[in-house]
Parts: sequence; C-alpha cells; structure tokens
Amino acid sequence: MLESYVPIFVMIAGGVIFGVVMVKLNEWFGPHRPNDEKLSTYESGMEPIRSARERFSVKFYMVAMLFILFDIEVVFLYPWAVSFKQLGLGGFVTMAVFIFVLFLGYFYVWRKGALEWD
Amino acid sequence: MDSHAVATGALYGYRNQKSSSTNNFFESSVTLETFLFYTLGAVSVGSALMMVTRRSPVMSALYLILNFFALGGLYLSLHAQFIAFIQILVYAGAIMVLFVFVIMLLNLGDEKKLNERFSWKKIVGAGLSFGVLMELIFVFAFSKANLPPSHFEKATDIGTVENIGMQLFTTFLFPFEVTSVLLLAAIVGAVVLAKKKLN
Amino acid sequence: MVDQALLSLAKFLPEITLAITFCLALLVGVIFRSRPRLSMWVALLGVVVSIALTIREMGITESVFSGMIAVDPFATFFKLIVGSSAIFIFLFSLYSAEVLSTMKRLVEYSSLLVAMTLGMYLMVGATNLLMMVLSIELTGLSSYVLAGYTKEASDSSEASLKYIIYGALSTGLMLYGISILFGLTGGAMDIYAINRALVTSPVNPIALLVASLLIIAGLGYKISAVPFHFWTPDVYEGAPITITAFLSVASKAAGFAMLIRFFKIAFIDSSAVGLPAGIWITLQGFEWNKIIAILSVLTMTLGNLVAVWQNNLKRLLAYSSIAHAGYMLMGLAILSDKGIAAVLIYFVVYMFMNLGAFYVVMLVSNKTGSEDIDSYKGLGFRSPFIGVSMVIFFISLAGLPPTAGFIGKLFIFASLLDAKWIWLAVVGAINSVISLYYYVRVVRNMFLRDPDENSGPLKFSVPEIVLLLLLVVPTLLFGLYYSPIVDFANASARMLGVH
Repeated sequence: MLESYVPIFVMIAGGVIFGVVMVKLNEWFGPHRPNDEKLSTYESGMEPIRSARERFSVKFYMVAMLFILFDIEVVFLYPWAVSFKQLGLGGFVTMAVFIFVLFLGYFYVWRKGALEWD
Repeated sequence: MDSHAVATGALYGYRNQKSSSTNNFFESSVTLETFLFYTLGAVSVGSALMMVTRRSPVMSALYLILNFFALGGLYLSLHAQFIAFIQILVYAGAIMVLFVFVIMLLNLGDEKKLNERFSWKKIVGAGLSFGVLMELIFVFAFSKANLPPSHFEKATDIGTVENIGMQLFTTFLFPFEVTSVLLLAAIVGAVVLAKKKLN
Repeated sequence: MVDQALLSLAKFLPEITLAITFCLALLVGVIFRSRPRLSMWVALLGVVVSIALTIREMGITESVFSGMIAVDPFATFFKLIVGSSAIFIFLFSLYSAEVLSTMKRLVEYSSLLVAMTLGMYLMVGATNLLMMVLSIELTGLSSYVLAGYTKEASDSSEASLKYIIYGALSTGLMLYGISILFGLTGGAMDIYAINRALVTSPVNPIALLVASLLIIAGLGYKISAVPFHFWTPDVYEGAPITITAFLSVASKAAGFAMLIRFFKIAFIDSSAVGLPAGIWITLQGFEWNKIIAILSVLTMTLGNLVAVWQNNLKRLLAYSSIAHAGYMLMGLAILSDKGIAAVLIYFVVYMFMNLGAFYVVMLVSNKTGSEDIDSYKGLGFRSPFIGVSMVIFFISLAGLPPTAGFIGKLFIFASLLDAKWIWLAVVGAINSVISLYYYVRVVRNMFLRDPDENSGPLKFSVPEIVLLLLLVVPTLLFGLYYSPIVDFANASARMLGVH
C-alpha cells in the first residue's frame, strides 16, 4: 500500500536535490571575489539608514491565528464531506450545529474588527 | 510527545505485521516499511535534536517543519493517511506559519544575546529526561499489547477519510460537538489577547 | 445512533443551557455593543438556569452519549459546587474594580466564564479518556485567557503566559500517559472498559505505573498538588481576583472530581467480595494509597511552609489553597467511600470560606488598590464588618471550631483515624497548626495594629455587604448544623457503575 506513495517521495526528494545542487554548484564553481562594496546592503544607490527590521505589525499574527482556527474547522469538514451520503439527515444536522457555532465565532471576529487590515 | 506515541504504535504495528506475513508477497512491503520507519524515525529524532540546539529561532522553526514532515511520513506507514495529510496541512502549514510570524514579531535582533551560560539546571534536566527515556524504552521493550480484533477487513483501511468520517459522526459525535465550543472559546480568547483596541 | 443521541440530550440539559448561554452572551455582546453589561446578565441568568436544571436531575444515575459522560449523584454534587461558585464569581465581578475598569472586554469575560463553567461541568462527568482531555482543554483554554484578562498589568500577562506553558506541558504529559494506557488495555478509551481489561488480562506493572503516573501528573496540575503546583502562586497573583477565586475553588473541584472518578473506576477492583463495604482494593496490587499519601504530605507541607513567608495576600491564599488540596488528598489516600464523602464535605465548606476570603481581598483591593498585608493594618477599625468577616473566614480556613472549616477537617481526620492512618492525621494536624500562624498574622494586622494616619473608614455599599453575608453565614452555620451536608455528601459518593 505504501508503494503508491513512492512517487510523492521521489518528487519531494527530486525537488530538494535540485534546489540544493543549484545553490551548491553556484557556490563551488562560481567566481568568489568579495569586497566591502559588494557585501554592503543594496538600497538603490542610497546609504542604508538603520536596520532593515521594521516594527512588526500584530495584524499578521491575528490573521495567522484565525487562519489556524478556521483551518481546523475545514479539517473536520473533509471527512464529513466524504461520508455525507451514508450519514444522512443526522449527519447533516450535527455538522450544521458545528458550523453554526463556528459561524458565531466568525460573526464575533468580524464585528469586533479583528479582520480590519489597519 | 507525538514522536514517542507514533514510535510505540509503529513498533506494535510492525510486530503485528511481521507475525502475520507468511508468504513472500508481503516480504517486499515489510522491507520497505522497516526501511521507511528507520529513515523517518532518524530524520524526526535528528531534526528534533537540531531544533533544540540551534541558536537562531528561525533555524529551529525550519527544523521543526522537517520534523513534522518526517512524522507525517511515519503516520503514512501506520496506515493513517488522513492524519498524515492533516499533520502537513495544519501543523506544517498553519501552525508553523504562526510560529514564524511570532518569531518575526518578537524581533530578537542580535541572536548572540540568546547565548546561555552553563548551568546546573541543564544537567539535572538532561539527567531526568534520560531517566524517563530509559524507563519508557523499558516499558515498550518488555510489555505486550493486547490489540483488539480490527473492525475492518483490511488493516490498511483504518485511516481512510471515509472510515474516519463514519466513526467521527457516529461513535464520537459528542466530542465533535464539544470541539466546536472549544474552537469558539479559542477564537474569543485569541481576539481578546491579540487585539490592542476592541471596537 | 441518532435517536440515542436525542435521548441523551434530555439528560444533558444543564450543559446544553451553558453552551447556548455562551453563544447567546457572545451574540448579545456583539449586537448591543454599547451595553456590555447586558451580556454579563445573560451569562448570569444562563448559569442560574443550568443550576436549576442540575437540581432537577439530582437523583439520576445514567450514562449518556454512548458512554462519554455520566450523569450520577457524584457529578451532580460537583456541578452544584462549580455552578454556585460561578454565580458567586459573577456577582463578585459586578463589584470588582479590576473587571469593570475594562468595560470593553466585559463581553468576552462573561462568555469565557460561561465556557469555563461548561468545561468544568463536562470534566466532572467525563467517563471517556477523550472527553477527559477535551473538557480539560476547554476549561484550561478559557482560564488561560481569563488569567490574562487585565493584560495592561504586566503581571497578568506573565501569569497567563506561565499558565499556558505549564498547562500545555501537563496536558501533553497526560496525553502521553493516556496513549500508553490505551495501548496496554487493548484500545479501551472508556474507563469502565479499562477496568475490565485490567481485571481480565494483567499487564506489565511498570508500564501501568508509568502511564498512571503521567496521567496523575496531568490531573495533579489541575488540582495544584505538589510537585505540579509551580504555576499556582504566579497565576493566582497575576490574575484578576475574581478569576483567582474561581480557579481556586471550581477548577480544583472539577480536577478532584475527575481524579476521583478516574481512580475509582479505572484502578479499583469492583468485584472484590468479602470485604467490609466501602473499602477499595486496587488492581494489580499497587500501593496507590501510599503514593497518594506521599503526594498529600508534600502538598500540605509545602503549601503551609511557603505561605508563612508571603506578604501578598493573593499569594498567601494561593499557597493556602495548595495546602487545602493536600488535606483533600488525604481523604483520597484512604481509598474508601468514607474518605470520598469526607472530601465532598470539605469541598462544600471550602467553597464558602475560600470564596469569602477572596471576596474580602477584592473589596479591600477595590478601595485601597493594594493586596499587601501591610495595607490591612487597622482594617478592623476602618471597617469592622469586613474585618470580622475576614477573621471568620481565616478561622474557618485554619480549621478551628465553631466554623465550617472545622467540620471539614473533622470528617477528614475521622475517616483517617477510622482507617488507622494515624501518622497521616498527625501530619495533617501539625500542618493545620502551621497554617494558623499565617492566618493569624493577617488578623493581627487587622485588629492589633493601628491604621495609617490619613486613612479613613472604608464604606461599602449594601449589595456588597449582602453578598458578604451570603458567604459568612454559611461558614458559621455549617460549623454548627452540618448534618444536611453530611447526608448529601454520603448520598453523592455513589458513582455510575458502582454498587
């Protein structure tokens, strides 16, 4: 049964090896003559003023958190969708309750402004 | 935690498989599975060790992603296809993204500041962990598992999406509904803790 | 399967009410954004309704949802304790300066309190390992967020962070123990099935010991037993006082209920014949009573000894609640029905006296803004009623007559002596004496020290005083007239599946 997954592993291995080989070939066979000018940060000709790390906005974190929670909801939707026919009306009602509770969560997040981008 | 539980299950699964294979047709799949088990096990343990010893948090996060991929492969070898894909999708896809965002949010700057000095706490902690590891190895090596007869014709069926769906919505219906309340509480909690000003 | 689920719903009304209240409180809070207090009233109403429904199902002994939850007198008893604590906490929150200073987040506060109560209702009835984990997670998640509610104060965020990390670690350990137990018993997730599996085919005792120690680690974290207690002082100090009070009473009650149920059903041989009624025999001959007795001694001793050095009243009460968990573990160590009844009695009196002590701390903190022992100087003169109530609560916590705390300790010691655990009773008595020291230290500050020059009398409103009376009167009353509690506890010590 596991034999059917071998093509996936081969593809992953191929991708990794390809990427690593490209970088390493460049490193080994390309010319390597660094000087100060070449190693400094590129800012379209201007001098860099301060560190490139800006203050990170928390809205990214908010989006990632909410993404995880709704992703888990989707994870439960997959097996339900596959066995939907066999579960009948009862299965539909239980999933409807689940989605309704999480829809409340979505409604709450929307009205509280957690989805605002600024 | 995950890797130990998976290792237990894999060991039991492996033992059962070995005892049930009687003809040569299964020989090749046993070899493939043992090869996969040892490789993926080594990758997962190795990447976990690398993760806790890196000085840069981003490198630790990348090794953790490698660990999750290895665990996904181990789940596949245990015929838990759905769990394997959910592991990659949710853990490596969503949770690690959150980790990397948090690492960027903390903006630690010069990683040299994370240099810890030698302390006795590390020795004691390492010693305790080693003791627990020895105990667990003893437990797994010398106990036998009384596994029940399987509900399905083929053992390879236990992890398919259809079967998980059927079990989830019949036997485990109630925990499923409780999970919805748990997720709602998590959503409310996330918004409370992360938003600066609520409308 | 579906009609069985529908039938189970009828027995499950309190939890359904709480779930609906949770959703309704959120909805109301989001729709009526200008009136956040509305959602608090909705939440309070929902909890009251759920308690009424719990009282309605007091005599039932059944298992619902295909063996996931049990509705039996034991669970009903603990649901009443958790529910009443929740009602008290809502009433406290109406007068708490900390909570009301963040009006914008009041909606989340109320709804998460309801979610936490729902989680505890599920915890006390859980008979399936999966439900145990889910309910612990629901309770824990809500309490992690509530502990960090006043997030502008740095120690609140610190408390929440420590709580989350510690909780995640303990839940992880517990899950690991559950997975080992699952493998050993042949795939049984129902605790009755675990018992049957352990009885019919003995397993490797070391494996079983490791698995159960890991599970006890997870449950011990919930009840703040030593050595799983390290989160308690910091979390109790940083969280808002109302949440600290709720955690110290209700969360401990739910944790104990789960611990007792898991222990009693999974590890006790229910088919032992020829023994005096009420004594338990453990499977596989483990010396569980010695292990629990050691845990209890460690918990009591550390809680009492460290409390002596505390100057912050919340931290002092945190360590004192650790010590009380130790006294209750003594009742569990006996492994008999009498011991469990003693623990149940102790929980009733503990609820009143602990909630009362935290309420007084909250009232004083509202007016003076400080939780230090030094700010209690002369409190007896600045506000006599508060001072006297605090004295009553502390005497009860120390276990002196004629208060309810004495009755609680009396029954625990009585069952200990009955089972011939003399040494444990002596350790408990010594610990009670040590605890007297730090309780009396606060009393001394209140009544034997003069207040600072520019501090006048403290006035409290009538509803606050009435609420205080609701806690003081039972503390005194149950010290004298305790037979209804005893009868109720004895009747509730019966669990599903036990005859």
